[in-house]
Amino acid sequence: MTAREVVDLVKQNAGAPWNERSYRDTFKLGDPDTAVKGIATTMMTTFGMIKRAHEAGLNMVISHEDAFWNDRDDTKDLTDNPLYKLKTDYVLKNGMVLWRDHDHMHSMKPDFTVVGELRAVGIKGGEDAPMAPRIRTIPETTLGEFAEQVKRLTGSRAFRCVGDPKAKVSKILVGPGYATPRMTLEADVVVGGEQQEADGGFDNVEYVMDAASLGMAKGLIMLGHVVSEEPGMEDYANWLRTFIHDVPIRFVPAGEPFW
Amino acid sequence: MRRTNISRRRFTVLTGAASVAPLGLAGAEPVTADVAVRRIQAELGGDWPATGPDGFTAGDPSTLVKGIATTAMATLDVLKQAAAANANLVLTYEPTFYGRADGRPPASPMPGRGPMGLNPDDPVVKAKREFIEKNGLVVFRLRDHWQARKESEMVAAFAGALGWANRRVKSPVGEQALALYDIPPATAEQTVAAIRERLKVRAGIRAVGDRNATVRRVLLHPGAMTPATMWQRYSEVDMIVAGEVREWENTHYAADMFTAGEKRALVTVGRVVSEEPGMRACAEWLKNVVKDVPAKWIGAGDPYWRPA
Repeated sequence: MTAREVVDLVKQNAGAPWNERSYRDTFKLGDPDTAVKGIATTMMTTFGMIKRAHEAGLNMVISHEDAFWNDRDDTKDLTDNPLYKLKTDYVLKNGMVLWRDHDHMHSMKPDFTVVGELRAVGIKGGEDAPMAPRIRTIPETTLGEFAEQVKRLTGSRAFRCVGDPKAKVSKILVGPGYATPRMTLEADVVVGGEQQEADGGFDNVEYVMDAASLGMAKGLIMLGHVVSEEPGMEDYANWLRTFIHDVPIRFVPAGEPFW
Repeated sequence: MRRTNISRRRFTVLTGAASVAPLGLAGAEPVTADVAVRRIQAELGGDWPATGPDGFTAGDPSTLVKGIATTAMATLDVLKQAAAANANLVLTYEPTFYGRADGRPPASPMPGRGPMGLNPDDPVVKAKREFIEKNGLVVFRLRDHWQARKESEMVAAFAGALGWANRRVKSPVGEQALALYDIPPATAEQTVAAIRERLKVRAGIRAVGDRNATVRRVLLHPGAMTPATMWQRYSEVDMIVAGEVREWENTHYAADMFTAGEKRALVTVGRVVSEEPGMRACAEWLKNVVKDVPAKWIGAGDPYWRPA
């Protein structure tokens, strides 16, 4: 089975029309006609993750995020970059192939990134969750207690929270990665991966600070981009196993990058 | 459709040389927010297009100014402190109304995910506007022009806040200052601890890379850093201290450099925290530009906390 055949099977099983113009969901490096010895799924194609995949005998990487440190994986300014050379040499020398599945994962039902994130933060009933966020109601607690629970369950080190820890909360809005949902009137807490801090489309940070200053029960929890979307890549590996039986499939975490 | 508030448009006209009061007479005219801003604009120079981020975002520009407050981000807490301190003209580096549109309907749909624009009936927006009105505050966003000054304070003041003011690496004459600093050698971990202490950050500081690296040369980059800058500059230094980056871009790069054995670290302190010193310097600068009224800086602080 070649990497190209794996991707064809993903396309057939995604349950949604495939957008061939997606600049994200493409082969990033390696020969698509390489015979696949094993598949590693991961959140981000880090150099460390690539090495671990190779050491485990897995030569195809399916990653939710980029390989070359920018969203488009545009490498025209990187051709003389020593790190780029080191990483690409490692991949090519070891007969590996890198492919990304981002946009289509988010359009699938369920969206595994959201399913995994809800499970990781301890909210039940998210097994069918699509990308579009909806309010999840939990037994009333304080923002401080909820944040503590989420930090413990996810293991996030670079965990960040905005709002009054004493605020009473029960309505939670969860979104993956950079798609941190916008705070709404109804929601008490927004949980996301990361977001531009200010001067973006909607600045949750300042909004939640001001709401807290007004005594409104609002909170924002930022897990980190990798932490928020990584658990779903294990679900993705499980999903691949439902239609690919000839090669081993493993979830190989990129891991939270922060100390 | 741009916002109908006259002020942004008027200023582009008013900043024409003819309308700027001669310096000697400046003290004689009553200092309205309008007048104060015109002096600031004349001093900073450049074009002030109505489509840019800089401009009045709330309040009546004809209000008499009792005092000026500068801040990195005009949160409601900052506005409360400004009102209590009798500083009724607030100059903010970041938006007041939760996004680039800053309370204006966006001119065209902006790229990216999620709904854009603000509901004017949103209770937080309404309460903030009411607070501004009730307390006679005027809010002006001062970002592009403050940042674009020839002698930008954003980097120098950030270095000052970190205790590194006199450690700047001299740039060759005629070349753009490179924002490089040679600091007392310490491990990356120790340097991060020192930064945390100096800036009084809570959970907003995050680090990636080699925590045992010996840090001597540091690149300072307040605000958001692009991947292109990171790719070009990271190998010149032992540490980059920036405001914010994207995790799947710059953070990913720093993580890969660590895997490749590079002894460096990337530290982000938070966008607002990194911009605070530059706006503190702005208050100092104002003392010679709008002399008739006092100017003070109000910190917005690190927005983030983390459970123990």
